[in-house]
Amino acid sequence: MKTNAGNLKKSEFISYQNQIWQIQKAEFYSPGKGSALMKTKIKNVISNKVIDVTFKSNEEVEIIPIETRELMFLYKDNESLYFMDEKNYEQYSLSKQTVGEMADFLKENSKIYGLIFEDKLLNIRPPLSVVLTIVKTEEAVKGDTVTGAKKEAILETGAKVMVPLFLKTGDKISVNPETGEYTGKVNN
Amino acid sequence: MKTQTKIENLKYYKIKILISKTVENFLEKKGYLKIDLPVLSPVLIPESYLEVFETAFRYFDKKERLYLTPSPELFLKRLLAYGIGNCYYLGKSFRNSEPNSSLHSFEFTLLEIYKVGVNYFQLADEVLEMLQYIDKKIKTQSSKLKIKFKNINFDKWEKISVAEAFEKYAGILEKELFNRQLFFKKAREKGYRVEGFTYEDVWSQIYTQEIEPHLGGNGYPTLIYNYPKEFAALAKLNSDGKTAQRFEFYINGIELGDCYTELTDYQEQEKRFKEEQEKRKKLKKINHPVDKGFIEALKYGLPPCSGIAIGFDRLAMIFSGASSINDLKLIDIKL
Repeated sequence: MKTNAGNLKKSEFISYQNQIWQIQKAEFYSPGKGSALMKTKIKNVISNKVIDVTFKSNEEVEIIPIETRELMFLYKDNESLYFMDEKNYEQYSLSKQTVGEMADFLKENSKIYGLIFEDKLLNIRPPLSVVLTIVKTEEAVKGDTVTGAKKEAILETGAKVMVPLFLKTGDKISVNPETGEYTGKVNN
Repeated sequence: MKTQTKIENLKYYKIKILISKTVENFLEKKGYLKIDLPVLSPVLIPESYLEVFETAFRYFDKKERLYLTPSPELFLKRLLAYGIGNCYYLGKSFRNSEPNSSLHSFEFTLLEIYKVGVNYFQLADEVLEMLQYIDKKIKTQSSKLKIKFKNINFDKWEKISVAEAFEKYAGILEKELFNRQLFFKKAREKGYRVEGFTYEDVWSQIYTQEIEPHLGGNGYPTLIYNYPKEFAALAKLNSDGKTAQRFEFYINGIELGDCYTELTDYQEQEKRFKEEQEKRKKLKKINHPVDKGFIEALKYGLPPCSGIAIGFDRLAMIFSGASSINDLKLIDIKL
């Protein structure tokens, strides 16, 4: 489906230079000289690269009908991650390169949304946070009370994150899978 | 369209009113006459980059087309030709097909100032003085107004020519900027789309993406001057034949004002009008009648003068510390 760039909205998918991108930001802009523009920030759904593109507001842009489907993450090996649609048992795979560092934060059998186009899984939609258990971390040294001090913790998926000193092995924490940052302790 | 009542914006709204009074106060002291004007007009100046609102006056079977003015320029220049002298308009203007965003509104307040006998840089000095005056007023009231306003020093302009800015921020040399072939080649190398685009389109992409974000971000307001003649609109050309006597000024990457040494040659003006009308036709924009009286007034003689149009809502937004012009509205109408 084609539309004028002036109609583009956040989170829509478009084709740009023969690749599929998701709109992260779109703002109409009329500089009072030349034609009106649509300033956008778009993210490549495969490479995750983010770029700024300025469209003419009356330029035609192809909207890509991407389907968002809930999938189960099965497992990963050295190259890929494997997912399944529980409704029809269809399986999909994604390269580790496409998923990026987020791969380290996915727990087997957890649910995640996938971006599907023409029966192909393009990428997964990163959740805002994932809850994971600490499997190993050093005991805090007594008297070490520097505010904001952090230590390393290994999570059940094998990922390493920096956490506050008061956390112990067995604690559940939430992490932003895109940045790998600790965002809070989760009570059992 | 939705109509929203935003009483929570009262704080910012009051600052906007204070700034409006301060501006009027300053201009009155400087001897400018405030001009009240119609916003409905049967004729307009053809401008290809904007769209207008069309309506009609009805009386029994009679119907007369009217247009909401996208700027007060056509009326103010007529008055200038009749010898009104230094003057300004602070009021509503309308531009169709511009959805509301943090910096755009299809109905907005324009401050347009004309000074006779000066060029664009001389008018810039007066505008700077006005900014200093507003700044002082806001600062003396800021504890009472409880505003957090990003510190900008209005002691001077940071001045940069368009050619210097393209070289500094986009690595495009002057000889590339003014040569279509070299410019398109450079743009393509930088990853811009050029196929089927005009010089103006490609220029605008680079300007918006690589130049604008830097303007007015170094602690001073930035004055960027001498635009390529393709963007001359109603400005006088420089003797280099490549650039127009036009400047824009920016604070924090936001364009606030657009100034020209006004074109006084009516023949050149008529020619540019025809070109703009042609462009409007090609772009399938509303085909409104052209103001012939305006050309007549120019024939009679527009005195040498400079004019600046300032987005008043944006100006008030910057001085009030708000992040959107919509934060200054008590009644907000949007899509």
